[in-house]
Amino acid sequence: MFLLAVVYLFFLAVLFSQGAGMNIMLIFIGGFMFLQYFMSDKLVLWSMGAKIVSESEQPKLHETITRLCAIADLPKPKVAVVDSPMPNAFATGRNPKKSVVAVTTGLMKTLNQGELEAVLAHELSHVKNRDVMIMTIAGFLSTVAFFLVRYLLFFGGGQRSRESGGIMAAWLVSIVVWIVSLILIRTLSRYREFAADRGAALITGAPSNLASALMKISGIMPRIPKDDLRKVEGMNAFFIIPALSGSSVMKLFSTHPSVEKRIAALEKLETELEF
Amino acid sequence: MGFLDAILGKSKLPKAKVDKLFAISTASITLDVNLGLKPVGSAGICFKSMESSRYAAARLEIEELLQYSCKETGTEYKVQKDEFNYLWVILKDPDFEDLVTNIHLISQTLIEHGFSEQLLCAIYRFQGEGTVYWIYNYKQGAYYPFVPKGSHQRDNKLEFRLRSVMESELPIEKNVEKWYPLWGIPL
Repeated sequence: MFLLAVVYLFFLAVLFSQGAGMNIMLIFIGGFMFLQYFMSDKLVLWSMGAKIVSESEQPKLHETITRLCAIADLPKPKVAVVDSPMPNAFATGRNPKKSVVAVTTGLMKTLNQGELEAVLAHELSHVKNRDVMIMTIAGFLSTVAFFLVRYLLFFGGGQRSRESGGIMAAWLVSIVVWIVSLILIRTLSRYREFAADRGAALITGAPSNLASALMKISGIMPRIPKDDLRKVEGMNAFFIIPALSGSSVMKLFSTHPSVEKRIAALEKLETELEF
Repeated sequence: MGFLDAILGKSKLPKAKVDKLFAISTASITLDVNLGLKPVGSAGICFKSMESSRYAAARLEIEELLQYSCKETGTEYKVQKDEFNYLWVILKDPDFEDLVTNIHLISQTLIEHGFSEQLLCAIYRFQGEGTVYWIYNYKQGAYYPFVPKGSHQRDNKLEFRLRSVMESELPIEKNVEKWYPLWGIPL
């Protein structure tokens, strides 16, 4: 986190030296992120095709979540279901009061009660840890960097003034900043996945349930055709397992730790709980 | 939750508080006099079962404790699992004081064994014109009323009335968002 702050401050300084033209850009990005932050629940639900379900439609799912909330001392979130065979779950909403926890119909079919409970506890831990807020803020920093890169590519390249050398340097700097901040954000994201796994283990008191749920989900994931890839790609940060699988994605840039690592961490927790 | 904890996602689960548990015994008199709600001599604790061997040991000890303490007070008890894999300790005793003492004792034992986080709630059943439950939330250290009506409906009007009458005597959960319902209470 310290490193992220250093990078961010450095970046702000570079931004400041570029002068007034940036302000409009900043306002634009700020407004965009503001919208994303305050509309996150609706945006995510809408783009995922998730439907809020009432207690009479899904009594068992509601009851499971209610009890987990009582243990974690959280207000009960809204519950949504996505009609999709891909087993997955996500949580969204900028604070615990506005949060929504969604599961796919595939998840409910694939997992047993204990495993489903573990996955829901994982999502509730995201809510409790305020991951949407933290990742939005972290994402904001990298977006600012990204826009600066674009801006300088567009305007910096064409200008043949005395200052073009300076602009080129700033451009290179912002690329470096962007890559570094992306790596840091992804590291933070993976770290928070571990934290949510840990939270789920504490809430349910059964780390092995989450471990077996992860194995079940990940075993099925690659076998499902990924028609909806473009649709789900942007939502990876909130998924329990990212929809983009495959070894081609560099480990450094992945939002989620590997299932093997998560299961190993859960096994360690299991022994910790024993003593 | 501290700032650093927030950044690192290290939020902790709240610990159970039992000190306000006894408040129900004096409150039960007011409930009877003012609202005509009598305790039916039935109470329970609901907690999440765990998979560690420590848990198995604790469960054995609780069974022993139940046998011993319930014999002394003449309380009937049973332990059962529900469809969500939660354990219920259900106590039956016409003497309300004995119920409260036993509930406190069991809670205390569970907490001593490190299952503070896993305690869901303690419930007392009252009967007037209909059934009223007072649910003790260990995490908040406060009670809240729960009046089920039909399947998955609750009588909020009566619940709010119960709150306004009992507010001065019973620590009641202020945030109504935390008045979690429990359907199918096996009391």
